[in-house]
Amino acid sequence: MFIMSSFIYNQLKKTCESLGKHNDALYAVLAIAMFKGVMRPTFTMMDKKSDPKSKKYAAFREGLTEAIAFGSYIATHKMILPLAVPLAKKTGKSPKKVKNGLSLLSVCLTAGIIIPLVCNWTLKPIMDGVTKLYNKKDKKSDGKLDIKENTPQFPTPAVYSPNLNEESKKLLNTVRITSLQNYGMKVGG
Amino acid sequence: MLGPLVNVITGNSFQTIAQNTDAAVKIETALKAVGRPAFTLIDKNTDKDTRKYAAAKELLYQLLCFGIYLAIIPPVFKNGGFKLAQKIFKKEGMPAFKNAKQMLAYHHLAYMKPEERLLDKNKKFLDLITEDLTNPKDNNAKLLDYLIGADKKSGIHKKTLEKQGKMFDLAKGSIELSSIIGSVVGLTILAPEISHLILHPIMSALHLDSKEKTEAQPSKTADSVQKNLDKNA
Repeated sequence: MFIMSSFIYNQLKKTCESLGKHNDALYAVLAIAMFKGVMRPTFTMMDKKSDPKSKKYAAFREGLTEAIAFGSYIATHKMILPLAVPLAKKTGKSPKKVKNGLSLLSVCLTAGIIIPLVCNWTLKPIMDGVTKLYNKKDKKSDGKLDIKENTPQFPTPAVYSPNLNEESKKLLNTVRITSLQNYGMKVGG
Repeated sequence: MLGPLVNVITGNSFQTIAQNTDAAVKIETALKAVGRPAFTLIDKNTDKDTRKYAAAKELLYQLLCFGIYLAIIPPVFKNGGFKLAQKIFKKEGMPAFKNAKQMLAYHHLAYMKPEERLLDKNKKFLDLITEDLTNPKDNNAKLLDYLIGADKKSGIHKKTLEKQGKMFDLAKGSIELSSIIGSVVGLTILAPEISHLILHPIMSALHLDSKEKTEAQPSKTADSVQKNLDKNA
């Protein structure tokens, strides 16, 4: 019924056996944080109802939150797990069991306290900084051509054409075809 | 002070939860549902109304995630994934567990000391291990004999079971893998989509949105952009 290459079969078997022998609570929460960090910003950017500026802001914020979560889970895990051996020695319990228990405890601690706390401390300053940067950039390239400021004001050369009457010559001399001038303006870099 | 804590974390129940993706994610989601709104409320960087609004939204979102998780993961991914693994690994000679619950009950009992398996509090798990459960790789020996022995007094210790491959890591691992996949699908794809549809009607029904509507001002600050986006979500 199931056609599967031997490589995939062996990898799947290895993964299942490894998870069966030792399943850390960290694996699931890391997988969730990683996929949330990718999926939530993607969904936000796909939302056609929101305005593009807000979408970008929210997507970045969501991605950042999950990146903080991912890092916090790993950092707490790395900090708490070395306590397993001394605790096991002190209490006479199995180091493996203490390690398993501490691992779940670190996940709970991180999810309930550390992530919201780190987000409270860091998210606002980072987002404010990013918004300021974005607004600066936005002002610089908001689509308006600053012709008045940067373009040197050269006198329009008079149109010389023997076939035109005086009225037409006057009219043509008042029209400034700025797009034909090579000064100041840069379109498309 | 550390003694009681270590006793709790090395206890059988805590150990089973620590090895169980389903239980660990449930606890994590429940803690998020409490922790995130609480920390949002005490965040002094934002004004009071925004805090209240964000905390209520976060609480509702996490409760929704918890509900989605309860509704989808155990029946669909845990059991479905286990059944699929039984078909994929047919050649590996796994015992014919009826469902994931039965397998996990066996694993829970095998993990503890033999004398503890017969305690009253573990009867509900022992009752799930029926006589017909046998190991095809061991002359169809009964799984019940591994746990409590033929004379119903002695069982085989976990270390021996592990050594002889009678913890059925492949079966247990397949449940964990499908639970991880289910958690990812449920919490990263389904929950945001469903919350998109129902979160705002709920918030409007609870009159949590009304203040936001009247106070919404076009502003360039980070908070207002987030507020406006939250309204649109």
